[in-house]
Amino acid sequence: MFRAFGPGSTRRLCRWITAALLTVASFAFAQPDSEPQIEAAYLVNFMKYVEWPATTRVTTTICLFGRDTLGPSLAGYEGRSVGGKELIIRRANSPDDMQHCQLVFIPDVEEARIGAVLRWVAGMPVLVVSDTDGFARMGGGIELVRNGGRVQFIVNNDALARAGLKPGSQMLRLAQRVIGGER
Amino acid sequence: MSKPSNSTLTASAVFFTFSIVFNPAIAALDDDLSLEDLTRAEISSVSRRSQSLSNVPAAAFIISADDIRRSGALALPDVLRMVPGIQVARIDSGRYAVSARGFNGRFANKLQVLIDGRSIYDPFFSGTIWEHDPIPLEDIERIEVIRGAGAAMWGVNAVNGVINIISRHSRTQTGGMLASTLGSNGQGQVYARAGASLDADTSWKISVQGRHAEPSKQAANDERSEDRLNNSVVDFRFDKALAAGSDLSIWANAGHSSLGDLYPLTPNLLNPAVLLPITVAQKTSTQTLGARYRWLTDRGVESSLQASLGNASAGLENAFEESHTRFDIDYQGRFTIADHDLLWGASHRTVSDEVWSRYVVDIAKGEFTQHTSGIFLHDNWTLIPERLQLGFGARWDYTNLGGGTVSPNATLMWTPTRTDTLWAKYSRAPRMPARAEYDVSIYTGYQPPNLALPFPFNLPVVFRAQPGSKKLHQETMEGVELGYRSQLAQQFGIDLSVYRYRYSDIVSSTLGSQSVLVYNPFVMLAVQNLDRCNCGNGWLNGAELSVDSIISTAWRLQLSYTWTQVDMDASSNPIANAQGRNTERATPRHAVSLRSQWNLSSRQQFDAWIRGSSGSYRTLSPYTTETRVPGYMTLDLRYAYKLTNDLELAVTGRDLVGPRRVEFVTDYVPATPVVIAPAVLVSARWKF
Repeated sequence: MFRAFGPGSTRRLCRWITAALLTVASFAFAQPDSEPQIEAAYLVNFMKYVEWPATTRVTTTICLFGRDTLGPSLAGYEGRSVGGKELIIRRANSPDDMQHCQLVFIPDVEEARIGAVLRWVAGMPVLVVSDTDGFARMGGGIELVRNGGRVQFIVNNDALARAGLKPGSQMLRLAQRVIGGER
Repeated sequence: MSKPSNSTLTASAVFFTFSIVFNPAIAALDDDLSLEDLTRAEISSVSRRSQSLSNVPAAAFIISADDIRRSGALALPDVLRMVPGIQVARIDSGRYAVSARGFNGRFANKLQVLIDGRSIYDPFFSGTIWEHDPIPLEDIERIEVIRGAGAAMWGVNAVNGVINIISRHSRTQTGGMLASTLGSNGQGQVYARAGASLDADTSWKISVQGRHAEPSKQAANDERSEDRLNNSVVDFRFDKALAAGSDLSIWANAGHSSLGDLYPLTPNLLNPAVLLPITVAQKTSTQTLGARYRWLTDRGVESSLQASLGNASAGLENAFEESHTRFDIDYQGRFTIADHDLLWGASHRTVSDEVWSRYVVDIAKGEFTQHTSGIFLHDNWTLIPERLQLGFGARWDYTNLGGGTVSPNATLMWTPTRTDTLWAKYSRAPRMPARAEYDVSIYTGYQPPNLALPFPFNLPVVFRAQPGSKKLHQETMEGVELGYRSQLAQQFGIDLSVYRYRYSDIVSSTLGSQSVLVYNPFVMLAVQNLDRCNCGNGWLNGAELSVDSIISTAWRLQLSYTWTQVDMDASSNPIANAQGRNTERATPRHAVSLRSQWNLSSRQQFDAWIRGSSGSYRTLSPYTTETRVPGYMTLDLRYAYKLTNDLELAVTGRDLVGPRRVEFVTDYVPATPVVIAPAVLVSARWKF
């Protein structure tokens, strides 16, 4: 099988690999729980456990900043009702986009731009979440941290307070760490 | 092994379609998973993090730190083998030929390589010196590989691809670490690191690494070659977060590599068909000090200013010595307003070199200072929110060696759904010939005597590449790419790209003057000069596929396939014509890689990697005839066991199956082909 492969054996190999992948992929769909999926589920949950200032909006929006790393995992939640509001997922790349967002997620590959995004949403009731190491310490709202085989989160209470957001007490209890004083 | 029939294939395809259509698990996972459940959920540790690139209009591939570790590789090029469109071939125990999208060679010159934004492309040789370890693999956060032109952003030489190595932030490397590897063929590696956080905003780390390999066996006679490798590198990083979203990073890096070789160079009276090898000792070293400051203005302009100072040398004992100092300064700005995401930048580089040589290499100017300056502007314009984005930009560079160049590029990206992306890209990218191409004369080829002919036509001929009468100018690539990326389901993604590029004015040669060289009273050689000229033209076509599939919480498969075809124009110039044919035949048509990552338990990993390439024909320097480099298919295996959270042991087998092989033969620089032998490595990593 591992002879140097000429055109014939290449074709044969390709066919084998395609067949194997297709079969294997068929089983794949039943399996949940990859890291992006857990992170996506966290974002949706934060929408339930954090209280935004009162509004007449009938929708609630999760914005994905920069390179889209969670989009495919969040697609399934789109249009659902979260806390009585319809959930919208959208991409956000500019300061103008921020006014539509209740939650902004910054993936770790966009680490260099965290400062800019935090500046854009300063003073707005927006919860900023990231899986970048050290994010909560940098002034971000909630940091998702990988701890062994689990994803946990750190809440920066001061940052939430500045944005006018109230974290639920259950959320604070479940957090791996809470930075800043209790309200 | 029986061959799967077309019906097997059809059956699996049908099964596949049905399972997508009828499987409810495609919908979001566990709607009612509470926050409490989430904090307890055990994630599949084979899953990749942050690697979906669904909204990037380029053929991009990301290698994570986990991928690097699980590859079991000791050298950076071996890690790059998993990327579709990147050709990696090992020459001996330390040397590699690495290129993006064809045109591979010992100094493949169309690939830009950057570490944290600093180029490690050698300005003298026009290529990357891969035998050198530029940074320990342990210190890499991720590698972003972008195939296709990056010249509009990264400048000249980013013609066929850019490899962006992003090092780990020092705050993630506090504490100590020791790692070591021992293996067959005298391979060994030791890595040590120390780091600390001084306060919440300040951290540093320093790491050192040494790597050794004993000589390989020559393919021709199984005798030991001279490719004993000794590498060392020390890398320091300091990071400080400053107020208001600004930060400062300082890097210091020094590395040294010594690697022997056998150059067949000495004419042999008794058997003029072959040249006798001489042993050469090659040494390279680099030192770099750099800093980067990023800040944010009140209006929201993001800025980054980076400067570095360094020197590097490369030498062959008693024959050649090149050293240079360089200074780089680079500014990049970014401002996002309304539908526009604007990026701009300016950079300057000064390289002062000094070259000394004798025997085979001659250089017109022993010293030269090259200045290169450039500016660029790029806009990503969202035409329809969430759906359609237009990107366009251009870069202008000027160098005192070859003049000015313009590199424009335009992309259009359509995301009809959250999980599908279609993109198209047009680009034009220049490559400036290197200093060596402008000023160096080198003996590159040897043709044994033809005793049937009368004197002086029966003399052995040596070919000498030298600057032509007309000054070289830039090579130009212009081309289009199309790509499709889809996350068919949460655990199954595919990424496909196709491209067609046109190359003009590639550096080739034309027949020059002839002379007779008296080597000694008994040996006379005819010298045929080959004058360099911008006289190669051709097409490059290719397709790349990567499929990433998480099969169960503990098992992931990743497939890469690359198809490459070079089609050079026929030329009335016989040398350029022959070099064009060589280029076509030197590019393997197919390459494939299938990686399996399997977590046997939370403490055990078992990985397998099947990879292969079809064969090619290359000219084995210094001879002028083509030799066949056979295709191969081989297997790497790795088993790792975590004794505690901080201590891991691993056994890796590399190149385990297949006949003994030569993976590459070099043209231009003479070399003795060696056998790529199977290797077994045992390693331990300890964090404390």
